[in-house]
Amino acid sequence: MTRISKFFLILWAAAVGGAAAAAPSAVVSTPQVRAELVAHAPEGVAAGKPLWLGLKIDHQPHWHTYWKNPGDSGLPTTLEWTLPAGWQVGSIQWPTPQRLPIGPLMNYGYEGTLLLPVAVTAVGAAADGSVQVRLRAEWLVCKDVCIPEGGDFSIELPVQAATAGHAGLFATARAAQPQSAAGTQASAAVEGNQLVLKVAGLPPAWQGQRLQFFPELPGVVQNAGEPTTSWSGNEWTARVALDAQRSESPALLPAVLVTAGQNAGLQIELKLTTAWPPAAPSAAAPLPALGDAQVTVADASPPVGALTLGGALLLALLGGALLNLMPCVFPVLSLKVLAFAQHADDRRGLWLGGLAYTAGVVMSFVALAALLLALRAGGEQLGWGFQLQSPPVVALLAVLFTLIGLNLVGVFEVGHLLPGRWAAARARHPAADAWLTGVLAVAVASPCTAPFMGASLGLAVALPTWQALLVFATLGLGMALPYLLVSGWPALARALPRPGVWMLHFKTVMAFPMFATVVWLVWVLGQQQGIDAVAGLLALLLALAFLAWALGSRSLGLRGRRGFGALALGVLVACLAWALPSLRDAPAAIAQAGAVEPDKDGWLPWSAQRVEQAQAQGRTVFVDFTAAWCVTCQLNKKTTLAQAEVKALLAAKNVLLLRADWTRRDPAITAELSRLKRTGVPVYALYTPGAAGPKLLNEILSVAEIRSALSAVADST
Amino acid sequence: MMSRRSLAVLIGPVLGAVLGTLATVSAWAASVGQAAPPFTVTDTSGKQVSLADFKGKHVVLEWVNPGCPFVVKHYSSSNMQATQKDATAKGVVWLAVNSTATEHRDFLAPAAMTQWMQGQKAAANATLMDTDGKVGRAYGARTTPHMYIINPAGTLVYAGGIDDKPTANAADIPGATNHVKVALQETLAGKAVTTASTKPYGCSVKYASGA
Repeated sequence: MTRISKFFLILWAAAVGGAAAAAPSAVVSTPQVRAELVAHAPEGVAAGKPLWLGLKIDHQPHWHTYWKNPGDSGLPTTLEWTLPAGWQVGSIQWPTPQRLPIGPLMNYGYEGTLLLPVAVTAVGAAADGSVQVRLRAEWLVCKDVCIPEGGDFSIELPVQAATAGHAGLFATARAAQPQSAAGTQASAAVEGNQLVLKVAGLPPAWQGQRLQFFPELPGVVQNAGEPTTSWSGNEWTARVALDAQRSESPALLPAVLVTAGQNAGLQIELKLTTAWPPAAPSAAAPLPALGDAQVTVADASPPVGALTLGGALLLALLGGALLNLMPCVFPVLSLKVLAFAQHADDRRGLWLGGLAYTAGVVMSFVALAALLLALRAGGEQLGWGFQLQSPPVVALLAVLFTLIGLNLVGVFEVGHLLPGRWAAARARHPAADAWLTGVLAVAVASPCTAPFMGASLGLAVALPTWQALLVFATLGLGMALPYLLVSGWPALARALPRPGVWMLHFKTVMAFPMFATVVWLVWVLGQQQGIDAVAGLLALLLALAFLAWALGSRSLGLRGRRGFGALALGVLVACLAWALPSLRDAPAAIAQAGAVEPDKDGWLPWSAQRVEQAQAQGRTVFVDFTAAWCVTCQLNKKTTLAQAEVKALLAAKNVLLLRADWTRRDPAITAELSRLKRTGVPVYALYTPGAAGPKLLNEILSVAEIRSALSAVADST
Repeated sequence: MMSRRSLAVLIGPVLGAVLGTLATVSAWAASVGQAAPPFTVTDTSGKQVSLADFKGKHVVLEWVNPGCPFVVKHYSSSNMQATQKDATAKGVVWLAVNSTATEHRDFLAPAAMTQWMQGQKAAANATLMDTDGKVGRAYGARTTPHMYIINPAGTLVYAGGIDDKPTANAADIPGATNHVKVALQETLAGKAVTTASTKPYGCSVKYASGA
């Protein structure tokens, strides 16, 4: 070849090579993915013939791209088509994604091989040759880092010949798409911080299965975390937490439901049956939003904002002292104090015992508080009284009080229950004895709340940890104070009546408040778990009483004790086996009618929606945050709130009465209490039209207080 | 009377164990309109910085990670720096927060982080090293960047993305609405923020696991 022709040959080769490099091809490869533009045209390219295009992505191991709702982070893959004139292209038919957790966050996307197909409608019919299809695709591919990538693709589709080389791939992709769910009714309702989904008409094979929920719209629900789901017949209910920073308020929420072993799933459309609360309540909004900063508190309890640490400590001290008068604590304490009369001369011993008791009480309160704060710091929705929201704890407390009562009545003596060495050890270490009595006193005090505790405890959990623990320690100090005073001032001890037979009678009489507390705890358990759990608990208590008598009775001999003891143990085991399931499991779902009717006193169940709707109508709202295990709440319900005058007043002002029942754990109510700067019940909140925020009434309600609070509200016509 | 003490020995630990098993998990992230969660964390110069230090001022929190292409989009185009300067000139306190775990490959030690911020000519008042992720979790920070605005009363008035064009392409910035600039204009004028909650976009925050 001559030199010139070689030169032109190289030039021509370079030009062709250059052009080939510049022109997009069907494949784009990166270190993370291999992406390819593929087509499926089994009958050639013509109007009316099926035509599918798609982007095939092969991910390197552990790399993933995202679904149309990428989840907490990420971006969905986008496709931009350049097609011959007049051609129409549909939207991406996304296959059902998988959940991709990353730390505390959740994404929805794909790994491995993925095809994102689109349906295409061609127009016109080119006689021969081929048509060119171009695509600009962008995707975000992530593993532990994210890389935004993109590519330009181009393929030529022969008009006459079939393009079916990827038929299998397109078929697999179609099978991996969620099917449309004809015949299902799906609805969603906002309840506090949750979205309650109800779907009926799902395939019968799905009933009772665990379903996964994928929302197609971002910015509505929390993606991480498992929703609580349940089946009732053929209706599936799920409670999904709403996004704390929700940015969307759709009327329709499309979603995909997947069951194990059936990858494609169903696509459902959830229709919203309630209004969305304002996504971001702000100070300038015309309606007083629930989360407003100003919370006015009635005069009796000091304004929460102004309550200093000193104030909280003082209230805690008073509250603790008042706890001694509660039926839970009074018997234990009074018997203990009376015992001083027997040891009035042993000043030092008494004083040490008093100190040990105080230490036991304070340490127990601090330990309970530390547990509460630790759980709250970990993210739990808990408030004071949280221990009583759990049926097993209520049952255990009932057991404790029953045993104490039986011991006081004389059914058994613990001295006979425990080996002699223990009794001797107890006598040798009276300080340890007193310390344990302190711990026990806190355990029995927990079901009772006293006035002043609500405000100081609500403030305490918002304080820095050491200050909060100090408030609880002061509460313990207040509770131990009477005992400490008597043990430290022998004059007080000597003022107590001389010991005598009356002490035995007194001891027996004190058993009855204990049993009364058991009755109340059994009622609380009944509220939480139903009548079956009540029967189970009562059977358990009976078996325990029998066992305690068998092992600890004064009059039985060794053989009697062994025989009856074995029998009693058998009975106890049988009762446990029968009672435990009803105590532990959630009660059967109560069928809820569509529209909830007010109860016989005119109270409706509380929900944030109801409050806002009423306020929008200019109506006054009175919310009673209560729980079955809260003594003060029940007291108010039976006295002040049951008064004819109060009922008439509330009716005259057309006040909407809402009851927030916190007997069982309820995150929505806990969150609302937190917003009102309280951690326990009772809380009485009055929302008057025109006021910036709710007015919190005193924990022990009085008719006069309700009258004055409502005085500003006009009578309804 | 003596007997109740021995009962306490038997029942006390059991009660304690039962109390300890009561938990049901429910996340508790900040929400717009509520009090912004307080925090105290060390910044890149080793100083302790608390939200309470800035009571009475507007505060902007910007979640940052130099290894994320979306953060790079806003810094290489100087969009983030311009937004920072715009804010700090009006007396707003701007805190950049890096919640990347130490074991993640995107982690930068405080000195390297300072160097990067200076190299980018960022106008943040401080860069907070939230390596255990406590602040991020308290605010529910999901992406980098993720923006929050707190008003002088301590209420969270904006949470969401920096702008409304969720891409990694810097060319999209001029045509996008900068949510932070708009929200700051409104809140500094004493008005309510109209778009207070938007969807944030970016890479996920690289939280430490097991926290």
